[in-house]
Amino acid sequence: MKIMGVGNAAREHAIAEALERSEHHPKIFWLAEIRNPGIFGICKRTGGDFTLSKTTEPEKVANYAERWRVDFVIIGPEEPNFHGVPDELEKRGIPCVGASKDLAMIEMSKADMRRLQWEYGIKGKLLFKTFKSSQDAYIVLERYSDTLTWLQNVALKPARQAGGKGVKVVEDQQLYLHDEKQRFKSRHADWLEDYMKSYSDIDDKILVEEKVWGPEYTLQCFTDGKSVKGMPLVQDNKHAHEFDIGTETGGMGSISGPDFNLPFITKEEYDESLEIVKSLVQAIQDKTGKSYHGIVAGQMMLTEIEGPTIIEMYSRFGDPEALNVLSTLKTDFIDICLAILDGELSKLNIEFDKKATVVKAIAPKGYPDYRELAKNHPVFIDEKEIEREGCKLYWGSADLSEDGKILSAGSRLVEILAIADDMQEASRMVDNCIPYVKLLDGWGLFYRSDIGSYELLSKRIDVANRVRRLYHYRREKGILGKRIDWLPKVGKTDPVALLKNELSKSKGDG
Amino acid sequence: MAGIFGFYAFGEGRENWDSKRFIYYGLSSLQGRGQEATSFAVYNYEFNSLIWISGNGFVEDLFEKIKQEDVKGFLGIGQVSTDREDYVIRVDEPVSLALVGDGKPALHESRQTAFQIFAEKLSEELDEQKDPIDAIKKIIEQTKGGYSFIALTKDQKMICGRDIHGIKPLEVGAIGFDIGAVASESSALDVIGAEHSGYIKPGEVVVFDPLSICRKCFFKNRTAYCSFEYVYLARPDSYLNSIPVSKVREMIGKRLVQENPVKADVVIGVPDTAIPFAMAYSEHSGIPIKLGFTRTGRHIRSAIKPSQFERIVGVQLKLNPIRASIDGKDVVLIDDSIVRGNTLRNTVYNLKRKGAKKVHVRVGSPPLIAQCPFGTEVPREDELIGKALSNDEIAEIIGADTFAYLSIDGLVDSIGLPKNSLCLGCFTGNYPEGSL
Ligand SMILES: Nc1ncnc2c1ncn2[C@@H]1O[C@H](COP(=O)(O)OP(=O)(O)OP(=O)(O)O)[C@@H](O)[C@H]1O
Ligand SMILES: [Mg+2]
Repeated sequence: MKIMGVGNAAREHAIAEALERSEHHPKIFWLAEIRNPGIFGICKRTGGDFTLSKTTEPEKVANYAERWRVDFVIIGPEEPNFHGVPDELEKRGIPCVGASKDLAMIEMSKADMRRLQWEYGIKGKLLFKTFKSSQDAYIVLERYSDTLTWLQNVALKPARQAGGKGVKVVEDQQLYLHDEKQRFKSRHADWLEDYMKSYSDIDDKILVEEKVWGPEYTLQCFTDGKSVKGMPLVQDNKHAHEFDIGTETGGMGSISGPDFNLPFITKEEYDESLEIVKSLVQAIQDKTGKSYHGIVAGQMMLTEIEGPTIIEMYSRFGDPEALNVLSTLKTDFIDICLAILDGELSKLNIEFDKKATVVKAIAPKGYPDYRELAKNHPVFIDEKEIEREGCKLYWGSADLSEDGKILSAGSRLVEILAIADDMQEASRMVDNCIPYVKLLDGWGLFYRSDIGSYELLSKRIDVANRVRRLYHYRREKGILGKRIDWLPKVGKTDPVALLKNELSKSKGDG
Repeated sequence: MAGIFGFYAFGEGRENWDSKRFIYYGLSSLQGRGQEATSFAVYNYEFNSLIWISGNGFVEDLFEKIKQEDVKGFLGIGQVSTDREDYVIRVDEPVSLALVGDGKPALHESRQTAFQIFAEKLSEELDEQKDPIDAIKKIIEQTKGGYSFIALTKDQKMICGRDIHGIKPLEVGAIGFDIGAVASESSALDVIGAEHSGYIKPGEVVVFDPLSICRKCFFKNRTAYCSFEYVYLARPDSYLNSIPVSKVREMIGKRLVQENPVKADVVIGVPDTAIPFAMAYSEHSGIPIKLGFTRTGRHIRSAIKPSQFERIVGVQLKLNPIRASIDGKDVVLIDDSIVRGNTLRNTVYNLKRKGAKKVHVRVGSPPLIAQCPFGTEVPREDELIGKALSNDEIAEIIGADTFAYLSIDGLVDSIGLPKNSLCLGCFTGNYPEGSL
């Protein structure tokens, strides 16, 4: 069997490894934009091939798939989906595990995903507004006490999935600090407008969303368009630095297990989250008339307003979340891919090891906001020692050059995974490996020692308990999802009704 | 003693933050840790330099005086202190830095000079060592005492740490995807709208630079947290070392009932610190609690005012007994600590004049008998009434019917940590091994 993969991050290394483990003993072929040493090695070992190419040009990707005569293609990252790579493959009769362009809309446009959610009445919604320019956004962002409560505490985002960058959450709760926060909000709206200039595939530019709080988790699922099967729950950690401080990243590390669910999410919440993801898959299929074959994930948060709530959707595995689930997957990954492609997923029993996993990303200083600084540093990794510690190394943003040197490529350099009976043990195992990853020119690396620690986990549990009490109470009272405001001169105002009104009006216009 | 605070903005767009107002509110919430001097330093991006601002008095006094436009920076540290002229330390060479500190490194008699020496050493080590972590490790290793500090360098590093026993607290928080904040107490983090994310461990160093936070703990298992923080110094809405201060104070109130029960009609507490003791005392004794006093003027913390005169004036201004709560009644009066007895004598006298029949005094801490070598202003030992006299003698002197302290075991149990994980120096005269 021959399989081709697309993409070059640690997530794709984990996918390649899961393919390699299969009883089908496939030859593995890969298209990537940099030469990820891990994936490169797997391709060579299995008798496949590895080629550098743009991965967002459907023609190119499909040409390689044809040249190599692969049985199917699996797409790692989101951008090939957004650009219609699966569509082109399908057109040429090459099976592809990956959401086609229209379906991937649930990830690409955070605004359209919300619209879909409101239109189909799917649970776990948030209030939002979109803007085409920062000027328009100011009017909303600069008001304080005479405006809807949710507009004071907001998440400001690019309206498009933009590579885990550009999200700011600003809680403007202290009147005495309002000037500071408001200035920051407006400046960030400017930044967003500018940042979004590089994306022409979407009308909405700036998304302003109701700010919520609670523990986050990712529910990754396999789907063949008919059934949606959930994987073990994973929690990623978005802040760049220790103590949950600092810039938003693609994820600095993730935890899962030991028993399918996370210690701070209940079975009921897992099931409800799965229902939400299922409903969204159904809704987007209904909307587009297409069938979803691939991976879909809900990046979620438990909130006081409605319990399990969608922050955003993925049309692919999360990175690093892919590592947690693929490393504990007991079922043959290729069997799963085949079932996805054949629409036979409901017949397949998918199993995972009942273990805790911890992944930590190691990045050169400069990631995520000053990537130029993080680039082109020579890398040395003592893989033997990492193995001896019982951990697994996944290569990320690293480029293997012709002469065998490896250079950092600006993003998360490697991700290290440990599997153990409990999370703290796994976390310690990964920490032991940190000294074995080095940049030979002395440039600094950073990672988060606190991921998987007892302290951080206790904090998550504490937050989850507080949120759970609140949304359970709302449920008992029958006011889940309800918000209400009082505005001077206007009186009682229902922001949900306002939003619904706006949505139906703009639909009428469109 | 002091309250310290640090503010650090990360990522693209960080220049858009101005730390000044965060420092203002952060320090205001730490005002109880020092009311004689306020100072801060910010890193200014346009001039690539540190700006120092300082003055005697309260936080708001200083901020009223400065021209807001002139002082701007997205990184900043600040301090309130119990000593006049005790300001942010400034070192220009070899590495230009500002430093604030709580407690006292064992480098000099005077707190300020001790931190000055500390900051100069830091500057030199930072110059010599490539990795700031190594620099600070060496200094913490060599410097005994009980202290926590935050330094801000001209090359945009914020370096924080605690002595190896962690005697003085240092808590950490975050705002959104942008800001890291460090403060003596978690209440300062709440007040600026930050999420309290944890604390710096004893002997731990945390270095913020524009591209990372690096954290190393060198000296494990030698914890000796200051117990006086929990009884008296910290705000009740703070968590220190992940222990909620108000919980400790409730436990103390309960313990006071168990250790020295008494029959009475009403419980009153001396504002502000003793109120949680009194509430718990009432709850566990079944004796109703009433509002005992109304305060006049600013909250001046009487045990930490410099002179005896001010202490008496302070307390009289502070506390006017509410006659209707106590007239004709047997009263349990709860206070947080007793230094020379002046304060309590005045209070008891006032209560009786206003009609209290009996006054039973309970103190929510063990007798203070020794100096604090770590910068907390405990009066000279020959001025400490607890060291010299028995409970009955003290009762007689302050005019109370009965008088009792909390026992040392009572304090330890209330905090809920093993005795050897606490510094009980001011109550026992024994200080953590290797701290002096
Ligand atoms: N409405 C919200 N309320 C509170 N926090 C939010 C909200 N939206 C986003 N966040 C925070 O910001 C983070 C990033 O947001 P989001 O996932 O939408 O952006 P992204 O840049 O696409 O992220 P990713 O790296 O996962 O691709 C979330 O993980 C969450 O911590
Ligand atoms: Mg996300």
